[in-house]
Amino acid sequence: MTGSNIDLIEKILYHVEKPGRYVGGEHNQIIKHWRDGMTKWCLVFPDIYDIGQTNLGLAMLYQALNQADEILAERSFAPWVDMEAEMRKNAIPLFSLENKKRLNEFDILGFTLPYESIYTNVLNILDLSAIPLFSKERDMSFPLIIGGGQATFNPEPMSEFFDAFVVGEGEEVVLEISKLYSIFQKEGASKQDLLAGLSKIEGVYVPSLYDVSYQTDGRIAAIKPTRNNIPERITKRIVPVLPKHPSKFLVPNVEIVHDRVSIEIMRGCTRGCRFCHAGMVNRPVRQRDVKDIIPVIEDALESTGYEEIGLLSLSSSDHTQILDITKKVHEHFHDQKLSFSLPSLRIESFSLDLMDELKELKPGGGFTLAPEAATERMRAVINKPLDEEVFLQTVREIFEKGWRSIKLYYMIGLPTETQEDVEAILNDGIRIQKIGKSIHGNRVKVHLGIASLIPKPHTPFQWLPVKSPDSIQEKLDFLKSGTRKAGIKMSYNIPDSTLLESWLSRGDRRLNQVIYEAWKNGAKFDAWGERDNLQVWRNAFATVGINPDFYAYRQRDLDEVLPWDHINIGVKKDYLIRDYQLSLQGRTRKDCRQNCYMCGILDSFGELRPAKENGYWGCP
Amino acid sequence: MNDRPIRVRVKYAKKGNLRFIGHLDTQRMFERALRRSKLPLRYTQGFNKHVRINLASALPLGFTSDAELLDFWLNEELEASFISDRLTKSLPSEIEILDVKLVDNSLPSLQGSLLASDYEILLPDNELFEENFTRLLEQDRIEVTRRNKTIDIKPMILRYEFSDSESGFNLLKIRMSSSASANTRPDDLLELLGINPADCKINRTKLIFEE
Repeated sequence: MTGSNIDLIEKILYHVEKPGRYVGGEHNQIIKHWRDGMTKWCLVFPDIYDIGQTNLGLAMLYQALNQADEILAERSFAPWVDMEAEMRKNAIPLFSLENKKRLNEFDILGFTLPYESIYTNVLNILDLSAIPLFSKERDMSFPLIIGGGQATFNPEPMSEFFDAFVVGEGEEVVLEISKLYSIFQKEGASKQDLLAGLSKIEGVYVPSLYDVSYQTDGRIAAIKPTRNNIPERITKRIVPVLPKHPSKFLVPNVEIVHDRVSIEIMRGCTRGCRFCHAGMVNRPVRQRDVKDIIPVIEDALESTGYEEIGLLSLSSSDHTQILDITKKVHEHFHDQKLSFSLPSLRIESFSLDLMDELKELKPGGGFTLAPEAATERMRAVINKPLDEEVFLQTVREIFEKGWRSIKLYYMIGLPTETQEDVEAILNDGIRIQKIGKSIHGNRVKVHLGIASLIPKPHTPFQWLPVKSPDSIQEKLDFLKSGTRKAGIKMSYNIPDSTLLESWLSRGDRRLNQVIYEAWKNGAKFDAWGERDNLQVWRNAFATVGINPDFYAYRQRDLDEVLPWDHINIGVKKDYLIRDYQLSLQGRTRKDCRQNCYMCGILDSFGELRPAKENGYWGCP
Repeated sequence: MNDRPIRVRVKYAKKGNLRFIGHLDTQRMFERALRRSKLPLRYTQGFNKHVRINLASALPLGFTSDAELLDFWLNEELEASFISDRLTKSLPSEIEILDVKLVDNSLPSLQGSLLASDYEILLPDNELFEENFTRLLEQDRIEVTRRNKTIDIKPMILRYEFSDSESGFNLLKIRMSSSASANTRPDDLLELLGINPADCKINRTKLIFEE
């Protein structure tokens, strides 16, 4: 970008909210000299800086790529609507935060897709960068557009915009992609050759090399590779041993959400909750050893000056060394005036023991529990069993330890749900409030967070329809009036956004055109409740000529070809079917660390399993 | 721990991209830089402990400065040059440490004793500016409305002079009140003259305190 363009950017920054989002310059930012011969990546998080910069995956890839001398990796985020308006008015293309280069000057744009509501932002970013939206319209003169992240386990709705997807974990595969790109670029290869080359890398999915055919009723007939030397199914990529954790975190100059150091202590979960996408797609469980965790925290504190640390995992209580971790963290850091958070604790007294060890976890912030369902029957259906006695006893102990505020997460719209199950949620809130009041009097706060189920791909619930917004609204209304009377706070997802998420997460390739239409008509930042976009989406479906209810409200047959069936997460479909059937019978499956149910992970990845002393896997 | 806190006064410049970082964010940036510096910091008491730090004055978003001041406190007395080195190492490069000294604890707070600020404003080429500006200053009242409150800023314009800068732009040097009771900013004035502050370069050159 020329000097005058930088001047122009600076001028528009005076007219936008929170301009610090767009200038970079954070402590620990890596600015490499922009020169020929390097493979230049821009890691794009298609949401605003405030949300994207907190993403740990982004920090991991930024580190992994920039460690290589021949690779340069910069960052870019979606501009908020005020900034976008200024950019369009002044014909300023989207730029990277480090060298302030236009996105179309990079070799590879790596988009993070952690959730579906930012799909339209991807299109907006390409458009702001003067890059054609559809993969087939781009030759080698444009950057290679790849996507990765939790949403890409069903990449189909975005398959025409992306050249390739990384399915699974990115830390190693990005380096392989980079290397292949640089070789093909030097040879002057065509885009077709590059894509064919990429499809041979483990965990890389090139959608244009697969063909989807449909039955007359709209269901998929088959998903087939278009040539014979590429795999029928794309097996996700994993790192058998979690790589060295980043510690030189960027320190944002403007406040962002979760403004703290995040340390991933464990990846994956063995609990097998049936609604949980993350629990299915992130297997096997791998954990970082306490002796590796402490130095990373030490390093991170020294290099960032942060005062808050989050120890992240899907189920912290299940780390085999969790007690030791909390003890050592306290020993090492108690005199540094820090606060720690340890989310995702199980509902049991042991969680309180952890709190005793980690005194930096203060009762100030409120205690969060996620029973997810309020009757034992329903908890069996979702495979998140919790003994009623244990639950109430844990709640009592939490209050007794000094916490006055408890937040509880529940889901509605679950399979086999009855009014009784919904009433039980309200009843839980009231009972817990009563326990709290018996200990602390009226200063007790109980907060219910209500989400409605979206049956996600690759979970045992993937065949289920979504409950209609009307029925969800009815349940929400019941809970709202009940909590109001009881003086309990309640928050919830609006049914509209749930519906949009169900289309985008469960859709097939025909969604590409719908997303394109919706974007053309102004859809962006679809997760932001205040922008009422659902009508735009309904219109887009109508224009393309498909019925959104097909994706939301239809019960799929167990033998139907699902749009994501060619993506192999390691967990077998047979296993999911069996688990689904058990669910309908109200039968649970225990934590699989004690008892392997042969989900398929060891069939797909068993060969990669490290020796015990080199890395922990949760599989027995 | 030494019971008597050591008060450190830092003069610094804020440049480049960091001019787009607002006051609260700047304060947080300093807190984290101070933590990185590993100096023996004094913290506030109470439940949520913070680095004890006190910035003299909020620098408006988009302004650069050669004259910002802040105080922070240590538990031990250290050489000013040592403190300065540590700070320079832990701060982003667009913050430049200009001076560090240890000052008496009995001095009033920076915010409480600030009276005025000097600014240098590089204006876009506009031959009429000087004339328009002089005419505006001849009025009895100069009213600006901020947060639904209209105030007369004429008494807050304490002195000014024009000169030509090297680059051929007009340069306005102006002193304006920045005290708690009378506070105005150059952009208030520029907007009255129909000038977009974004087209100017505004640099704070001095903070003036009660003697």
